[in-house]
Amino acid sequence: MKRLAASLTAILAVAAFSATAMAADYPTKPVQAVVPMAAGGSTDLLARAVEKYWAKYSKQPMVIVNKPGGGGVVGTEGVVRSKPDGYTLYIGYGSGHDVVMPTLQKMPYDPQKDLVAVSRVSIHSVVILAGANAPYNNIKELIAYAKKEGKPITTAVSVKAGAVDLALTAFGKAAGVNIVTVPFSGGAEATTALAGGHLMIGGGHPSEVIPHIKAGRFKALAVALPERDPSMPNVPTLKEQGVNVGTWGSIKGLAAPAGTPKEVVAQIDATIKKICDDPEFKKTMADLNQPILYQNSEDFAKFIKQATADYAALIKELNIKID
Amino acid sequence: MDIFSGLLQGFAIAFTPMNLLFAFIGAVLGTAVGVLPGLGPAATIALLLPATYSISSPVTAIILMAGIFYGSMYGGSTTSILLNLPGEAASVVTCIDGYKMAQQGRAGAALGIAAIGSFVAGTVGIVGMTFFAPAIAGFALSFGPPEKFSLAVVGLLLAVTLSGASIVKGLIMMATGLLLANVGLDPISGKTRFAFGVTELNSGFDFVTLAMGVFGLGEIFYGLEQTMKGELVTTKVGQVWPTMKDWVASRMAILRGTLIGFFIGVIPGGGAVISSLVSYAVEKRVAKDPSRFGHGAIEGVAGPESANNAASSSSFIPLLTLGIPGNASIAMIFAALLIKGVTPGPFLIQEHPEIFWGVIASMYIGNVMLLVLNLPLVGLWAQLVRVPFAIMAPVIILFTAIGSYSVQGQVFDIYSLVGFGLFGYALRKLKIEAGPLVLAFVLGPMVESAMRQSLLMSGGSFAVFVTRPISATLIGLFVALAIGQAGMALWKRRRATTGNSNRT
Repeated sequence: MKRLAASLTAILAVAAFSATAMAADYPTKPVQAVVPMAAGGSTDLLARAVEKYWAKYSKQPMVIVNKPGGGGVVGTEGVVRSKPDGYTLYIGYGSGHDVVMPTLQKMPYDPQKDLVAVSRVSIHSVVILAGANAPYNNIKELIAYAKKEGKPITTAVSVKAGAVDLALTAFGKAAGVNIVTVPFSGGAEATTALAGGHLMIGGGHPSEVIPHIKAGRFKALAVALPERDPSMPNVPTLKEQGVNVGTWGSIKGLAAPAGTPKEVVAQIDATIKKICDDPEFKKTMADLNQPILYQNSEDFAKFIKQATADYAALIKELNIKID
Repeated sequence: MDIFSGLLQGFAIAFTPMNLLFAFIGAVLGTAVGVLPGLGPAATIALLLPATYSISSPVTAIILMAGIFYGSMYGGSTTSILLNLPGEAASVVTCIDGYKMAQQGRAGAALGIAAIGSFVAGTVGIVGMTFFAPAIAGFALSFGPPEKFSLAVVGLLLAVTLSGASIVKGLIMMATGLLLANVGLDPISGKTRFAFGVTELNSGFDFVTLAMGVFGLGEIFYGLEQTMKGELVTTKVGQVWPTMKDWVASRMAILRGTLIGFFIGVIPGGGAVISSLVSYAVEKRVAKDPSRFGHGAIEGVAGPESANNAASSSSFIPLLTLGIPGNASIAMIFAALLIKGVTPGPFLIQEHPEIFWGVIASMYIGNVMLLVLNLPLVGLWAQLVRVPFAIMAPVIILFTAIGSYSVQGQVFDIYSLVGFGLFGYALRKLKIEAGPLVLAFVLGPMVESAMRQSLLMSGGSFAVFVTRPISATLIGLFVALAIGQAGMALWKRRRATTGNSNRT
């Protein structure tokens, strides 16, 4: 019995020692970062930018693995189920399937309890757009147009019950406009359909729509954030235009499986902080039209909690269900 | 003029040793990736993306990636012809007559004509892109959900006619393919369908796994019961090069395939697949003796292979002129350019003419490289059919298993690969052509989402499909084809019954 206790203590001691040792010289091997979305999308672009500058501030490289499918659930679940040692990370924490989906359907894991927030890197706001020759130039004119014509306003959104869909539906309800959201399979497809003039308005993230706005194909009507988006400071918010709707858009940060040692999380967070302060990274992110909105792990965890609660309240108010 | 000076500038860039080297590496890698079952161009480009950060010039990076993409289209036909193993959806059609040709000892002719057709189509596609890119881009945008629905429905009908003799079997396969496509997330509501609580099924079945199982593994399982035949396909290698007669027969097929591929390939999403289908159907219809199709008609290889290559060239048009990526591989190239600080789109030609013209020029060079690279390989590949079954079969099983695992990194996909293999075996035993199944699996989601999007847009009215000119034309074509097909089937049946009554 005594022996057993002794050996147990020894094992625990070794385990504790190795945990601290592990944290001290983390990382000793390449860090795998899972992006649960398709390669080439806005989350993937952000991850690739982080990957590029990670090598500058870390002893070991970061390897991006795209595991798309199930609206992001498949890849994220893979991270949740992997060893919490800091060598498997999740990039894209705060996306629709983390903060919106749990309210709408049963999840195979708890996005808040089974993951630990590491750092926030960006927020992709929702921009409300119209074709360049649409007869409305701002939200007020759009509302007036909709009321005058009495027709439903067909709206291109990336996916059903995603951040864009929710923001546009909420806008419709608050403004008393009959918004019919048409979901596509991703932002690129939705903006393409809007560019072809097949729908009346649309929504998208700045990274997807700014090139089209510059090309004179779209005009931006409003941003659905509580405050203006730093990547398009000239576009007023919905609130400024008299419609009391503000959502969190799509949040993009890093997370690790729950149980990852605190020291390791702190070290990854510190690395991300350095990356976010790097002038070259800032330039890359500006090219991608993604604002850098860094938050440390503690604040980010609180932010995710707040965003999830806000989305839950919004979904309840709009009475959205997936059936 | 502008175009010529631009092109000249492009060639000056593409001919620098560094860019030539990377175009060559891209062509070699692309060919290899096309030949290896399962590993697609999109996955390869994704793997290489980090490496491109260290390539200082964005032109060089995109030349490499573009080379991989169109190089894989050259290589893709190889396994379809030799092993009945389509590497991507656009090569499914090639299997039908290509594999038959290989079994008849004409693998060399099939491979040769595929390489030549790909070269002609690729080059004509780039010429078209050089001169008409902006005009064609507008055409791509005019395809909204209703147009896509009508186009995909025509594609489905053409897929059914691939079944050869029996339309009923074709319809059964189409329905099965559509059902399999339903597994996974509902594209509009986001609800999971037919997953039975299996998380891996939330994203549905994977195309590569399905195609490799039904075609490749099914073929091997079937081969297992042929007693000690010794070789996988045939002992005969026969003529390694296409004969003069083959060339004459395929000439027009290559040209028609090129035109079809160039126009349909511009349409984002599914362009290449549908163009290969349309090309095959057109060849069958214009042929003097359509009954040769399905039994090793060389036009059935030449047309679709040209079409999918022309489509791969023209799919660059929406990217370079509008900033719209039309398929997964192009999306990766799009991402790489963005990371490099270059935004593809209407301003590309003004802001970065060196990239626009450099890439186009490198594609001319790359196509020549691919032809030079692939023609000598034809002889080598053709010898592959002589490798004993006992060696070849395990190698193929290993490669397909790795290939299907590599797509999403899921062990589950290997199980479904085996399941689809057994299913493919059953189809072979029942003498059912699997082509319509695989194509319906690709087109199904397109039909479904486009239809539901259209109906949301129109407030539930089906009139949206016939009031828009492009869509109405396509629906008209569909009706004409369906009536023609039904008429032909009836006529054949009547002839068969009168033939029977004569005999009795």
